[in-house]
Amino acid sequence: MLKAYMILSILLFSIGIVGLISRRNIIVIYMSIELLLNAVNLSLIAISADLAESSAQVMSLIIIAIAASEAALFMSLFVVLFRNRASLDANLFNILGGKK
Amino acid sequence: MSVLAILLLAPLVSALLIFLINILFPYAKQYLYTFFALMGSGVSGLLALYVGYYSYFEKEVFISHLFTWLSIGNFSIEVALKADALGSFMLLFVAPVSFLIHIYATGYMDKDKSYGRFFAYFNLFIFFMFLLVLADNPIIMFIGWEGVGLTSYALIGFYFKDIQNTYAGNKAFIVNRIGDFGFLSALMLLFLEIPSGGFSFSNIFLNLAQMEPSSLTLIAFLLFVGAMGKSAQIPLFVWLPDAMAGPTPVSALIHAATMVTAGVYMVARFAPLYNMTPEISLIISYVGALSALLAALIATRQYDIKKILAYSTMSQLGFMFMALGAGAYSTALFHMFTHAFFKALLFMAAGAIIVAYHHKQDIRELRGIQLPKIFKMMAIASLTIVAIPPFSAFFSKDAIMGALFVNGHVGIFMMAFVTSMLTAYYMSRMMFVLFFSKSKQEAMESPKSMLFPMMLLAILSVFAGFLNFPEVFGGNMHISHWLGLPDRAVLIPHAKELALMGINTFFVLLVIYNAYRKYAYTETIVTQHNDGLVANKFYIDALYQRFIVAPIAIISHFFEKWVSQFLIDNAINWSAFGYFKLGEIVAKAENGNVRLYALYMLFGVVFGFVYLYWSLRGAL
Amino acid sequence: MQNEILFTVLALIAIVSSIVMISAHRPIDSALSFIVTLISIAALFGLLNASFLFVVQIIIYAGAILSLILFIIMFLNIKDENLPDEKYKNRWLLATSVIVAPFSAILIDLILRSDIATNSVPSESFGGIKDVGLMLFSKWILPFELVSILLLVALVGAVTLSKRSE
Repeated sequence: MLKAYMILSILLFSIGIVGLISRRNIIVIYMSIELLLNAVNLSLIAISADLAESSAQVMSLIIIAIAASEAALFMSLFVVLFRNRASLDANLFNILGGKK
Repeated sequence: MSVLAILLLAPLVSALLIFLINILFPYAKQYLYTFFALMGSGVSGLLALYVGYYSYFEKEVFISHLFTWLSIGNFSIEVALKADALGSFMLLFVAPVSFLIHIYATGYMDKDKSYGRFFAYFNLFIFFMFLLVLADNPIIMFIGWEGVGLTSYALIGFYFKDIQNTYAGNKAFIVNRIGDFGFLSALMLLFLEIPSGGFSFSNIFLNLAQMEPSSLTLIAFLLFVGAMGKSAQIPLFVWLPDAMAGPTPVSALIHAATMVTAGVYMVARFAPLYNMTPEISLIISYVGALSALLAALIATRQYDIKKILAYSTMSQLGFMFMALGAGAYSTALFHMFTHAFFKALLFMAAGAIIVAYHHKQDIRELRGIQLPKIFKMMAIASLTIVAIPPFSAFFSKDAIMGALFVNGHVGIFMMAFVTSMLTAYYMSRMMFVLFFSKSKQEAMESPKSMLFPMMLLAILSVFAGFLNFPEVFGGNMHISHWLGLPDRAVLIPHAKELALMGINTFFVLLVIYNAYRKYAYTETIVTQHNDGLVANKFYIDALYQRFIVAPIAIISHFFEKWVSQFLIDNAINWSAFGYFKLGEIVAKAENGNVRLYALYMLFGVVFGFVYLYWSLRGAL
Repeated sequence: MQNEILFTVLALIAIVSSIVMISAHRPIDSALSFIVTLISIAALFGLLNASFLFVVQIIIYAGAILSLILFIIMFLNIKDENLPDEKYKNRWLLATSVIVAPFSAILIDLILRSDIATNSVPSESFGGIKDVGLMLFSKWILPFELVSILLLVALVGAVTLSKRSE
């Protein structure tokens, strides 16, 4: 049964990566990241259940807390970015490439 | 610091100071330059007298080891200075004459725009000349050799605004390159041949006997090729007449007393080598004789006062090479000694005339000049060069004639004899045209700073001959004994020597009388037709132009156009352009879009996974 | 058997809804389908006896975070012209899937080959709030405190970011 959970976790994780890279909408990108975290959580919980060890559950609890703080930051980022550019296109935010 | 190091470095230091002042303070007062220039050359002049004194009377050999340049196994090249008898003798006239010419130049170059630059080059030049003379091994000598070539290039093309002067400088430099190629090749061969020890002259001469005779011959010849270039002998003499483009003190310094004598000095320095290669010595004699004759012939039909003197220098150098080839090394050096004085004096007098008559140099325009002091000096110098007794060159030139006579090569002797007649002819032609004429041209006398060194040199050219007073008159050849060079020349019987002197002097006087009849108080010089072989300098420049310069120019153009510009430039430009384009393409990847960065990372991760999986497939 | 059926159904729901999430054009559609994913994952947690995590997942993820996202989407009043013009969205998705495929394939292959399952029987209280709480406040006290600092920093950061600059 553990293997099935692991495979599901891998599939969700891969879907998350695909969404993260191929989408330009920053809200979708954010949700893809959350999907990655959930996939990892799922595998952690599956292993913890299989080993009857609750440490992994605490670990995923902490991951959820981190995801919550990330959510707070992302939300404020959306607000700022949208206010400045009136768009959700991730390709517009490319000042990392230096002056054009 | 030893005496030699100070002697060597004083001109270098003053040259550097003058350069610095010239660069940092463009409006520096002229006397500042004068002070440093005279300090540098004066210190070395005095020290040279000191060195000469101790070398002559105490038989002292000055050695100064500065540092080791290269040390490879048991082979080392030292930067060392050594003033043995030969070196001290060279110093004895090079340094004081240089100093006198410096004094003269302060007068000649007075109020010139490039006063500072001139003296910087001048001091740098004598630094290299001292390095050449004092070198303890041929490598250091070569540095000095190249250095005088470089500074003479700078001085010949001193007034670089006139492109002709620059061409003359180029010509001197390039022709000298051919000679330097010979020198350098000889050094490489020496390097191969020397079994061990160092490169010092003493070590080379110690090992001469062990070397291959054929390569010794080649080395001797190649060294002489170097001497040919520096000392303006056939076939590498064409630069010397053109080099007169420089200011006259330059000619007095470089083309009379110092640089052109370097070749003679070098051959004398390698005397033990040339004693072992008689065939090369014979070649030297013939080249010297031909050069002397050719130059004297050309000089008889020249009108430019400085060019006459230039050809006369070449002719006198030919005399020295004749003597070297005959194995009479100390005689050759003695002639060089007297030549330094009277030729420098002649050039200075010519310079004084040129300044007084507003840079006219054609003797046809300078007829009947009225400069009594200059006339006296020039007359002394001319009488010296044509070897009238008891002026100094009489002794030196007759010693050469004697040596040639004993040596037994009739052809060389005859050429020398004819040359000395021609010398008398062209010198008296110049003198009579300049000073004995119906027309009169008044001019200002030269300043004292120019006259004073000329007077000193005039005294020296009269009396320097007594230093090597021949035995036939009860002298004892002081200088020859002092130098102690391995002369091969057999002593001439006294009766024959006297007879030679008599005949020589008689014919010289006859020639002078003829020249007087022909040129003094006549218009011959103007009406005389001036074409034919001699007047056109035997078409040698044209021949070189046609058969050497032109083909090389064609080849150079080919290489410049097709190899350099088409092939190499295009290859480089296209590869640079390719890199530029490639960079533009690659730069698209780094466009600041974080999604793409994540994609690259994904590529990396996937590649890593696949690679690991593939390489670990056996273990799984 | 019942567990297997439940797992299969939930897994299918999770995968399909997550695919819909990444491929939907409008963010509101993505967010709604992501809620489905999260709830099915929460159900899987329950299936694994992690009752406390099940609750936390529902309350924090599906409840707090997703409603926050929905709130932001509403708040920003995103219109169609504000959305990025994703002409090649499907091609991108396909291409990235092709790139990721070997990655997943290898991992799945490795999972299938390995013998990780121990099938130990959990105790009755496993996964309950007491069990997790004891572990959290004894062994994991330091990470817990660190997370509290992280939350504080995130709070301050969020306020600073969204403050209008004068």
